[in-house]
Formats: sequence, C-alpha cells, structure tokens
Amino acid sequence: MSMPVKAHDSTRTNHLGAGTWWQGRSGLLVPLIMAGFSTYLLVGLLTMEVPDDVDRPGPQFFPALVMIAGYVLAILLAIACLRTPEPVDVEASAPAEVEEDKAFSTPVTSAVAASRLAPHEEDEPTTDRQALAEARKEDARHRTHSDFVSLAWGAGGFAAFALILEFAGWILAAALLFWCVARSMGSRKPLFDLTVALTFSSLVYLAFAVLLGLNLPSGILGGGF
Amino acid sequence: MDALMSLFEGFTHAVTPMNLLWVVVGCFLGTAVGVLPGLGSSMAVALLLPMTFALDPTAAFIMFAGVYFGGLFGDSTMAILMNTPGQASAIASTFEGHKMARNGRAPQALATAAIGAFIGGFISCFLVVFVAPALADLSTKFGPAEFFALAIFAFVATSSVVADSVLKGLTALVLGIGISVIGIDSVSGSERFTYGVPELFDGVSLVTVTVALLALGEVFFIASRIRRAARDNTISSSGRPFLSRKEFGEAVPAWLRGTAIGLPFGVIPVGGADVPTFMAYGLERRLDAKRPDPQFGRGAIRGLAAPEAAGSATTGIAMGALLALGLPISATAAIMLAAFRQYGLQPGPLLFDRSPELVWGLLASFFLAMIVLLAINLPFAPLWAKLLKIPDPYLYGGIAVFCGLGIYATSASQFELFILLGIGIISFVLKRYGVPLAPLMIGMVLGPLAETSLRDALIANDGNWATLVSSPITIVLYLLLIGALVYTGTGRVLARRRQRAQRETEPVS
Repeated sequence: MSMPVKAHDSTRTNHLGAGTWWQGRSGLLVPLIMAGFSTYLLVGLLTMEVPDDVDRPGPQFFPALVMIAGYVLAILLAIACLRTPEPVDVEASAPAEVEEDKAFSTPVTSAVAASRLAPHEEDEPTTDRQALAEARKEDARHRTHSDFVSLAWGAGGFAAFALILEFAGWILAAALLFWCVARSMGSRKPLFDLTVALTFSSLVYLAFAVLLGLNLPSGILGGGF
Repeated sequence: MDALMSLFEGFTHAVTPMNLLWVVVGCFLGTAVGVLPGLGSSMAVALLLPMTFALDPTAAFIMFAGVYFGGLFGDSTMAILMNTPGQASAIASTFEGHKMARNGRAPQALATAAIGAFIGGFISCFLVVFVAPALADLSTKFGPAEFFALAIFAFVATSSVVADSVLKGLTALVLGIGISVIGIDSVSGSERFTYGVPELFDGVSLVTVTVALLALGEVFFIASRIRRAARDNTISSSGRPFLSRKEFGEAVPAWLRGTAIGLPFGVIPVGGADVPTFMAYGLERRLDAKRPDPQFGRGAIRGLAAPEAAGSATTGIAMGALLALGLPISATAAIMLAAFRQYGLQPGPLLFDRSPELVWGLLASFFLAMIVLLAINLPFAPLWAKLLKIPDPYLYGGIAVFCGLGIYATSASQFELFILLGIGIISFVLKRYGVPLAPLMIGMVLGPLAETSLRDALIANDGNWATLVSSPITIVLYLLLIGALVYTGTGRVLARRRQRAQRETEPVS
C-alpha cells in the first residue's frame, strides 16, 4: 500500500532506460523470447530419448524445423528492431483499441502497409485519425513505456493465487487475486475492494462448486463443507 | 431429404425443456462476455468451457452454440455502441455502425446488426445441414498429404496474407507450433520437451493457451496502460429498435450479399471471419460510391448490414466444417474441438455415423440459438451496454478470477495455473509489440495435424517428398496459396503507392 496511485505521475517520464541507447529498442524482448523458446526446443531435441526402431522422419524432425525457423525469425526480428527503433511517442502510444486491432491482424482487403514498423491509419476516416492524433498528444506527456508497477500487481496477484489456492482454498485465494487485479487497475479503496472481492469469490464458489459441482478446493475454510 | 429428416430428429433431441434452458443460459452468458470490452466470442467459449463439464455432451454443446453465437452478438453490440470490437471479425462493423450510433441511430444500428447476423447465420446453418454430410464424404478422400497441404495453407494464410507484418505473423505462428509439439509424440510415443515434468506429458492444453492469450494477457495489457487517458466512446441507445420499411429495404440486399461473401470462407482456413467481413464492407463501399447520394462515412446502414451477415455466415459454415472435416477454421472452432475431445469425441466423417443424435441435435440447436438471440437482443441490446457501468477494477478483477476458475476447473492442477500465468505474460509482451495473436492460435491448433500428416505421408512413401504434391487436391491447394500470396503482395504494393500519392495531395488534417 506504499504506492499511491496518481493519475499523471510526472516522474514516470524518467523511466528505466529513458534517453539511453535502449530507448525505443525494448522491442528486442520479442526476439529474445523467440531465441529463448528455440533454445528450449534445442535442449529438448538434444536430450530426447528416441527408440531405435522408430519410423523416419522421427519425433525430432518436425520440432527441429520449428526450432530452426525460430532462430531465423529471432535474428530477423532483432535486425528489424535495431535498424528501426520504436519511435518514442508515436507507435506505442496508440490507444488500446488500436493496439487491439493490430493484435488481431488487419485483413487482406485493407491491404495496408507491408511493413508494420510505421503506424498505418491511412485507411481510416479522417475523424478517427483526428481522434488518434489527439490520443497520442495526450499520451506523449508520459511517453510510451508500460506501467510495470500495475503489471507487477496483476501478475504477482495471479502468482500468489496459484501458490495458495490449494492450501487457503478457493474463496480466500480468488478474493486475493480479485483484490490485486483491482488494485493494479488503479482502484484506491482497499477495504471496500476487499469486501467486493470476498463477496465475488464466495458467489463464484456457491455457483460453480456447490450448484454445478465443479471441483474447487475449499481449503482451510473447508472444515464444514 | 435424408438431411431434413435427420435435422427434424435433431430438433426432437434439442427441444426438451432442459436443453432449451441451456440454449437460453448459453446465449445470455455468451452475450454478457462478448459485450465486455476486449473480450470476444472465442473468449466467451473458453471462459465458459468448464461450466459445461457438469452437463452431458449434448446439453453441453447446445449450450456452447448459444455461448458462441451470443458472444458474436455481444461483439458487434459493443463495436457499434463503444467502437471497441471484441474480436477482429467485429472491426468492420465499427466503421459505419459506430457512425450510425453517433448520429443518433444506435437502436437501428443494433437491429441491423442483429437481423444481419440472424440472416447470415440462418442461411449458413441451413446450408450446413445439406453440405456437412457431403463434406464428410469428401473428407474421406483426404489423405495425409492433403491434410498437410490444408494446414500449410492455413499457416501461410493467417501469418502472411492476413497479418500485416509477415515477420511478426510468422513469429506468432512458430511460437504456436512450437508450443503444440510439447508432450508425448503420438506417432513414436517418445517424450518431447517435457524435461520429465509429468504435467507436460499431455502437452500444453489449448484452453490454457487461449485463456492466457486472450483474457489474462488482455488484463495485464490494460493494467499496464491504465494511467493513459481513456476516451469514453459509449453511446447510450434508447428508443425503439425498429427498422423502418425504407431502412429494411436498404439493408436486405446488403444482408444477402454479405451472406454470399461469408459462406465460402467457412471452409477456407484463413483464421475465421475477419477477412469476409472486410470484403463485404469493401464491396458495399464500392457499390455505394456509384450511387447518386453516397451514404458511406455518414453511417450507412449497408456498411453495417453486410459485414454482420458475412461474419455470421462464415461462423455457421465453419461449425459445419468442424463437424464434418474435424478441421478448426478459427480459434473458437479450435476450442470447440478441444471440448469435443474432452468428451472423447472426434469430429470428422465418423462423428456423423457414431453419434448422429449429438451432431443433429447440435445443428438444430444452432437454429434455436439464432432465434433465442434475436429475441433477447432486439429488445434488450441497450441494456447490455449497462454492463459497462461496472467499474474497471472490478470488471477485470472478475475476469482474472474467471481465468483462474476456468483453468483450475478443467485441469485441477496448480502447475497449469503457472503455465497460464507464464503464457499470459508472454501474450502481454507480444501485444505490447504488435505481434498478432491469431497465427499463434492457428499454429497451436493445426500444428499437430501438420506434423502427423507430414510424417504419415513421408513414412507411407519411404521419405519421398514428391508425395506431398502428387494428388490433384494438393496441387490445387498449393496453387491457390501461391495465387493468394501474389495477389496480396501486389495489392500491398499498390495500396502503399496509392497512400503515398494520397498523402502528397491531401493536407494532413
């Protein structure tokens, strides 16, 4: 609770890596994931135990193709990222819905830019473009970095939920998860949140475990059930 | 008339008071999830999957049908009222639909969407009844080489043709295929990439990946940018959701054209309904430009009617393709496939012989779901928008809890929850850097099909690679694929050139 939530925290412009070479190049995370995953496959391939009489192509054949493709893509992505770093306050500051559009790919017919490195809203109507530009101006104030404190509350809350679920039982663990995510979303009423969280997790327990018979752990509260 | 008789029998299975209740419950819940911002119909199916395990297979799938179609309705409701499409297939509806709503015609826009989805869905379901058995027959002619060609077609289409960055599309695809090879190899029985962890023997569950990618990743993504100024686009819609005779007359041809465009895409594996919806929108726009008083850009009813009908038509046929071929066209179909397997059923030609009452009951329930949806959406669509009054923290808190619930209820394992978290974080990173998620799903779903059919084909022909292109069906598929690549390649170059020219002539607004 030591981190009060402010609407516009001005210190956040000086985020990790601001002004250094790394700025705009955090996209290297994607090739890193790719390389990491390919290495996971590589180690798995090397240590795989395969019976001698297996039909060729054996179980390593297809994953090996995937692994090679993974390394090649990691290198290409890294090159693309190094050559054209993310513009500091354009690309990533597009509002969430626009990101969403991108995340689910743009179809053939709109056949927009072949390179995704530049934002492409040329096809959109003028008013939408204006709205985009405004949102960007708004965003430029605190730059494009992600809010890792919020993220940590969300992800940490889920990790805690997974850890204590079987011991503490559904009602307590799910309430904790709810509370952490609510907090990560900027809620500033911890006590009220707690009552909402407990009510919600209890209702879910009643509906799914008691009525539908799903197997949810009752945990330390479960003596009587 | 065999098909009609079977369908009739299907209705007798589906129309029991209990099953009707499940359709209604499914439609209701599906719409509720679809309406939530950022969550689409495939998410609705994935989140509500565990709930159906308490039911018998027929009731479960009947409920699924309701959830799925309900999710689609919810997507377009939000696309129109809030300009936030829950799924790519609803994006085309936002263009004219949201404008109609902004011009004070929100109820009419919602009615247009609902009726369009109804028409597209109804026609496609009707076709499925006749086409599915034929498709099932056709698929018996498919050997490993043909299935491999189909999988490759889907891979390339989703990652390169449909996605806008080939590099990022392929990245997502390779990650998806990579995740799908984890687990015990079905051909040789050797452990792959499990590192001795027993939980990985069965591989990473598709449901876990879906929930992680689409729901948990979304929660993290939104959490990471809450300090950003939010724009509230919501448009309240009140008034009677009626179309005047004139509006109806406007929309009818668009509904029908949209349906016609959507139908063939139900069997083409390009990742679902987003391509046909955009094609339908594009066609209407071009037709509109030829009219004396162009309506597009001012909330054209046809620009909304066509994509809605197209999306729904594709969905209906895609369900038929799933049942008859066992081939999942979209992420949602893939989750349905996972659900079938959970009940020990394998969609495909044999399903029609082995469990006809289930197949025909499911087809019949599609029709029921359509009617129920029309009934609960036409009068109550504005009410759904009230769901958005839930404060964000509680909305996403609830979604996170449901992610945990869904995965724990299907797997009863802590380990699976950590996998969910891990993939959720990866999904956040991918979203953050604009990597499309759809190819990852398709890779995950069709990866095993591609691998086993490739190996079967090669083993059966002593490692002769020529066998992959030895049949007419495979040759046609590969030619189509090359054609699509060339077409989109030139299309992109032309579009860029046009945009550049346009930018030079038109001053920046």
